[in-house]
Formats: sequence, C-alpha cells, structure tokens
Amino acid sequence: MNLLALLVQRSQPLTLKQIRQELGNQYSPSDTAARAAFERDKNDLRQMGIPIEMITLGGDAAGEGAYKVDRRKFELSDLRLTESEREALQMAVATIRLGASHGDEALWKLGGERALNTPSTSVNVQLDDSILPALAAGVVEHRTFNFTYKGEKRRVDPYGLLARNGFWYIVGFDHLRGAQRVFRVDRIEGKLEAGDKGSFQRPDGFDLAKAVPTEQEMLAEGDSQSPTAVVLVDKTLASRVRREFGDGSVAKERADGSIEFVIPCANLDAFRLWLFAMVDRAEVLSPPAIRAKVIEWLTQQARGN
Amino acid sequence: MASRKVVRKGVANLLSGRKARRGPRSAAERVSGLLVMLPWVLERKRVKLADMAKQFKLTEAELMADIMMAAMCGVPPYSPDALIDVFVDEDEVVAEVPSVFSRPLQLNTAEVFALVTMGQAAMKLAGADTSGPLATALAKVRPLLPDDSMVVVDIANIKFLPELRQALNPAEQVTITYFAPSTATRTERTITPRAVFEDAGNWYVSADDNLSGERRVFRVDRIEALTRTGVLAPKFGEPDEMDSDGPEWFGDAVQHVTLRVAPRARWVVESYPYVSRVQEADGSSVVQMAVSSEHWLGRLLLRAGSDVQVVEPANFADLSQRTARNVLQRYGK
Repeated sequence: MNLLALLVQRSQPLTLKQIRQELGNQYSPSDTAARAAFERDKNDLRQMGIPIEMITLGGDAAGEGAYKVDRRKFELSDLRLTESEREALQMAVATIRLGASHGDEALWKLGGERALNTPSTSVNVQLDDSILPALAAGVVEHRTFNFTYKGEKRRVDPYGLLARNGFWYIVGFDHLRGAQRVFRVDRIEGKLEAGDKGSFQRPDGFDLAKAVPTEQEMLAEGDSQSPTAVVLVDKTLASRVRREFGDGSVAKERADGSIEFVIPCANLDAFRLWLFAMVDRAEVLSPPAIRAKVIEWLTQQARGN
Repeated sequence: MASRKVVRKGVANLLSGRKARRGPRSAAERVSGLLVMLPWVLERKRVKLADMAKQFKLTEAELMADIMMAAMCGVPPYSPDALIDVFVDEDEVVAEVPSVFSRPLQLNTAEVFALVTMGQAAMKLAGADTSGPLATALAKVRPLLPDDSMVVVDIANIKFLPELRQALNPAEQVTITYFAPSTATRTERTITPRAVFEDAGNWYVSADDNLSGERRVFRVDRIEALTRTGVLAPKFGEPDEMDSDGPEWFGDAVQHVTLRVAPRARWVVESYPYVSRVQEADGSSVVQMAVSSEHWLGRLLLRAGSDVQVVEPANFADLSQRTARNVLQRYGK
C-alpha cells in the first residue's frame, strides 16, 4: 500500500533504488530479496487492476528501469449515478442471485451498498465464483475458451452466454466440430481457460436467445418418422398443456373436459419425458406408429427390462 | 469410493457475497479490500464499525486491523499530513479528509459483467419499470462493457406473477385454485404471499396458507385461478429464507429412497434436490432423495425407464413396473 501511495504521489517515475530509499525498511537491505519482494508487490497490484508501467531511462541512468502509476488507468471515472440509481442497482443485485461476489464488489466501487435484507422477489441464476471471471472475459473480450466436455478437448469461440431453466449455456463456435454448438456450463470438466483478447469475431445477426432450443423446440428436433402425435390429455391436466403449447395445439375439446392436442414428437426421447410426466392422465391416440412405440416402452418397463 | 455430501439444490444455499473466509487473509487480500473500502467510507465520512464490518463481510476485529493498517500507510516522510487519514473513533470508522485513495478502483470485467447481467435480468421481471432508475443506471454502466448483447437471462414471466408480486408489499391475501399433480387434486386456498422466487426455471411463492395454517411453498405455474381480496395481512418477520423445495419433495410425509441413476438419466440428479450422491466407477450415481409421494416417484421412474433403478427401500423395488402396468391399462393392454 505504501508502494502504491508513493508511485501515485510522485509525478516522476522512480527507480527501484529510489523506491527503496523512500520506503526505508519496507524492503530488505539485500538487493536480491528486495527485488523479489518488489516483483511480488508489483504483481499483486496488477492483480488488483493497478498497472505499474516501467520506463527505461536514458542519459546517465541509461538502461535503468523506472516505475510509475497513472491513477487515471485504475481509478473509476465518475459515472454520476444518482442515489435512486444506486439503490436500483442494489435491488437488482439482491434480486438476481448470480451467486458470485462480483456484483457486491461492483456496488461498493460505485459507492453503493449490498442489500443486507433478503428481497421479497429473487431469481436464482447461480454461477460459481471460480468460473465467472473466465466466462465474462471470454464473452466480453472475445477470448477463445479451452475446456474438456464429454471427455473431449474443446476449443470454443464463445458468442454468448444464456441462463435458462436453471442452467447456464455457452453458445459458440466449436473448432472440433467446425460448427456452432451449445455447451452446458455445469458439464464442463475441469478448468475453463480463456485465451487471448480479441481472438474471434461474433457473426453478424447472431441471436443468442434462439441459439438454445426451448423444451417445445426440442420436441420438434429429431428424426422420428412422425413429426407430431395426437395426445389425449385428461381434464385435470388439459389446461396446463394448453397453456404450454397454446390454443393452436388443440385438435378437439371433448365433452368431459379432456382435450386432444397435436404435439411435436420428432425427438422421441424428449417426447417420452414429456408424455410420461402425465403418467396415466395422457394417452397417444395417433399416429399408430407412435402409439405402438409408447406401448412398447410401457411393456418393456412393466416387464422390468 | 469417493462420497460427497451435496448441498441441496435451491436458493436457500446461495450466499449472495464472498465465500466465508478460512484462515488468515493475505496482505494482498487486505490491501485489495482497503482500496475498495477507503473511497467508500470517505464518501460517507463516518460509519458505525459494526455496520461497515457487516457490509464488507468482515469481523469487527478484522476491519479494525485493516483500518489500523491503512492508517499507518502513506508516503514519506510519514508525517501526519502524509498518512492516510482514516481511524476508528470509539465505535465509528472516520475518514473525512481525501487521501491518495479517495477514488474507487475501476470495475474489472467480471464485476461489470455481473452488474450488467443482473441489472438486465431485473429489467425483465414482471412489473419492472423499464424507464426508471435501473434503466438509467444501466445506461451509465453499460458503456464500460465493449459489447453487452452476449448474455441473456431468460426469465419466464408467467401468469399470476405480477399479481403475486403486487400482493407482497403490503402483504395482501389472495385466494387461489391450486393444482397438485402428485395427487391430481385441486384446492381452493387463501394465502398471504411472503416471497416469490424463481429457481431452476420455475417460479414459487412462499406464503402463509390458511388451509394448512402453515407457511407453504407453491409453484406459481400450478395456480389455476387467483383473486386478490384487498384484505391486508399483518406484516411479520423477514421474508422467507427462500426455500425453493416445494412440499412435493420435503412435505410432511417424507420418505428417503436410494436410486441408481445411469449417466443417460443425469437429468434426474440435475433436476431434483437430493440428500447425498456417490459417483460410481461406471459413471452412474447412487443418489439418496427425499420423496413425499409414491405417485411422484412412480412418475420419475416411468420417465427415466431402465436408466433409474430403486436400490431401496424394498417396497419401491417394483414401483417402476407397477406404474408402467397401470399406464398400459389406459392403452387397453
């Protein structure tokens, strides 16, 4: 802290020798030990976002290094936030639970405070403290990621990050597959490493929200012979399915309150998960191939296979 | 075999700030913290030691030690005017004279990213004021990011969420028709919402429930009808601890089951809270879960097929087959 105060206060760059003279016994009398301690301090300050510049002197001191800190390079310019704007940010940080401390740190630097009371509304989009800086650096500074996914080494240009249904997704260009892919952040194995700044450009017109299929879109993405099935849903669940798929999915409303829906089933695995969530309160009526497939699943399961 | 206790999924286990520290803090950590705290306290001039410690998640002793350290720092010749003018006056931290560390540090990439992400997400909440102070604050912060369209928090604003949020402050009773899929029953209830929260893509309302006389957690998408009564309920206590685990999982009649989950059915482990999980060498997991209804477990087993097996208790060993046979009857088999 004394080193930083000194370098900020002095208008001229200081050599290590001058720094040691100014700071007295802060550094060891041994040149080697003093140099090592100085390098450690310099590194610590850089880690805090305070760049120490080195200038090579000329003249009598030719070749000697001198150090300076330009406070404009590490001090926050005044964003002129009003008190109500700070409070709004505080409320946002308390409400949207990213699970990492970076929001609190940002509030403090902006002169605000973290909320000490639990807000009455909250959204959980948890990201681990250990991975957030690398993720942010990748998408903000266009750094290529290196990580292991499903046992394979991947090199991915992260075009964007999406939080949906409790999971975070990286959408980006996968160099291994040579195509755009989606990766679940919690399924990354081991460490996520972010490469150099500006290592890729995001394609024009890239739409992050559309890059990750919704549950309904997943039902429609597959190679099943039949793209849709007619599913009869009992009265108890019909209104929920109608809300999920919209009025356009209703094929027939029956007198007892049950409804026949036309539901995408191209992705049979996803369709099975969706259908069986209703247990015996839904039944596939057609096409015959899909109905037969459902009966086959049930028969196998009833036999314990 | 490695066994790990897994923290139950849910909002309750989220800490909104720094992790609890273990062991002494390094000098670099302390300096880093001071560079944030000094401009912060200077803006306020005087702050109660206890309040400031709580704000920065330090003990009062830690904060006192940090302030003492800062007070000893400065530039040669270390005369009083060259030291950082911060001190503890009885129970207050005082910093009234601008020092070399009067301005806050720039926000780093992770901090701007986090702030903008949270701010943008909050703007999407039902009822958010899209031209209010949050919007203007974001307009000022956003330029710190080179590009801000790369992160999207997809928040589903579902039916009745605005009404429930409006009923929070002041707390107003609402009547609801609630559908419980575990029993396929509908109930009419009068509830007083105390907190609403979203977890794993689902919205919940924690409310005082007149029907049971208890604090209950309801899934908002299972509310089929809602009417505001205009009757204000007495305010008491703080909002809930945001326990997202609804009565289906941790209700009155909790029973523990142990399941063997194949890698293909990883969604089971990822979607539902569990008590413990042991990873097997073949990639499968042995998971202990709490369930409150046989119907709910049967539904899970039906969806997962052969990828999930009941290890214990024995009375659920054939539940998967029984559930499948039951559904087969619907197909006339």
